[in-house]
Amino acid sequence: MKPTDASSTGRLSRRDFFKGLGTTAVAAAAAQAESVAQELQKLNAEKVLGPGPVPVTLKVNGKTHRLELEPRVTLLDALRNHLGLTGPKEGCDRAACGACTVWLDGVAIYACQKLAIDAQGHEITTVEGLTPDGRLTPVQQAFVERDALQCGYCTPGFVMSVSALLRKKPKPTVDDVLHACAGNVCRCGTHPRVLEAALIAAGVRPVSMTRTEVISHV
Amino acid sequence: MKPFEYATALTVESARQLAGANGHYLAGGNDLLGRLKDDITEASRLVNIKAIPGLNRIEPGPQTWRIGALVTIAQIEDHPEIRRVFPGLHQAAAEVGSQQIRNVATLGGNLAQHSRCWYYRHRDIQCLKKRGRICYALEGDNRYHALFTGNVCISPVVSNLAIALTALDATAVVWRDGQERRMTMAELYELAWDNPTAHHSLRPGDLLLRVEIPTVRPRSAYLQISDKHSFDWALVSCAAAARIENGRIHNARIALGCVSPVPHQVTAANQFLEGKNLDEATADQVADLLLAGAQPQEHNAYKIPMARALIRRTLLQLRG
Repeated sequence: MKPTDASSTGRLSRRDFFKGLGTTAVAAAAAQAESVAQELQKLNAEKVLGPGPVPVTLKVNGKTHRLELEPRVTLLDALRNHLGLTGPKEGCDRAACGACTVWLDGVAIYACQKLAIDAQGHEITTVEGLTPDGRLTPVQQAFVERDALQCGYCTPGFVMSVSALLRKKPKPTVDDVLHACAGNVCRCGTHPRVLEAALIAAGVRPVSMTRTEVISHV
Repeated sequence: MKPFEYATALTVESARQLAGANGHYLAGGNDLLGRLKDDITEASRLVNIKAIPGLNRIEPGPQTWRIGALVTIAQIEDHPEIRRVFPGLHQAAAEVGSQQIRNVATLGGNLAQHSRCWYYRHRDIQCLKKRGRICYALEGDNRYHALFTGNVCISPVVSNLAIALTALDATAVVWRDGQERRMTMAELYELAWDNPTAHHSLRPGDLLLRVEIPTVRPRSAYLQISDKHSFDWALVSCAAAARIENGRIHNARIALGCVSPVPHQVTAANQFLEGKNLDEATADQVADLLLAGAQPQEHNAYKIPMARALIRRTLLQLRG
């Protein structure tokens, strides 16, 4: 169900509900907050914070957000439930499935196994931040063309892993893609399509690999 | 996760003080946050140690390399000189977790990670390693467990880097009681041999600062076999390091992982290798020495032939 359909019938979609939770935090974003963040970090060094909510400043997709979070809040929870960014998904919550993959300073990490308070001072990028203008990146376009998804829950994580690889290595080999995506799991079994999409996005001609051959690698 | 306090330390000594009696150091957090989420570990406070200067450096040297405890596994994997000088360490790093894990996981965290025994990791099971009375693996599903142990607990050490660094005869430098203390890799784990509640020899408050690796063994290799092709712990791992002159092996060290609570080494196996030609017959004799006295459990006897195959492959890889 599209969010617009939900609002036209006067109901609130699940996604809108979660996004609404984050509006106060988003409104608090300000251009000056970045220097505030650095100042806060200096002031907070060697000070014991929490366990109750404490100021946490996160730079996400180029915008700075000031939040009040308990130290135990993970980066994934902060992104989804406080900033309304539902691109990163919660799957295992144990650094095992890859659905929550985001970038920290341009490299892929699991947002579920990082504390939000520990992500301060870094540039965080979610799948929403890849396309600020709403257009698809070549990687996303290749996922669409190769139909590299079924239910789609793992897709944002895969897109972030593949995109991080192509930043580091624009012309990857099959093994490079498998190595970079080993930490993302697709329960629908679309791994062969993801591999093809990654190679197409990189302009590398996909080798012919059977589904079984690919699955035996992942 | 249960609530906890949080502090960022700027020096090693302040980290020690901030951690106090029930605090835990936080670096990559992969192992620690997983344990906190599953109530395996309790923490009143986490002390972020990543702002301590000097612990994130890779310092090459003609005789010794120093690798800081905060260096990430990805940095080790991607370092072109490490790949050339310590290929076994590169291979071990490349097998750690997934790209997302390697990007944040640190050398120190990899060495200090806790057992992966599924009874230990189960939130409702109070096993011997969690100061309970029983090792459930002994009578239970022990397919991933040890062939050797000096106590009743049969959960094995699973750090890849520990095995590679054991073969390279690295020294771990630990901050303890206000001073640096140097430990061999055997010393870094020896407590886990006797003591079922130990995962390594580090005491609460000890902070791993760096490892120092001698360059006297230019050939090294690390291989593992896992259930999955990637992103998996090893069923068995093997690392070897040596110098090779005129086809003969010198100063060799070989170690097995995931078969003992400590990196499994046998002095007689290392001594046997001295001056030998690296061939399959030599490898088989080394395997006999390394696996002598192995005590398989009901479900893990497969580790013995698997270890033999890995010993052979690893030693033959040293030939280049």
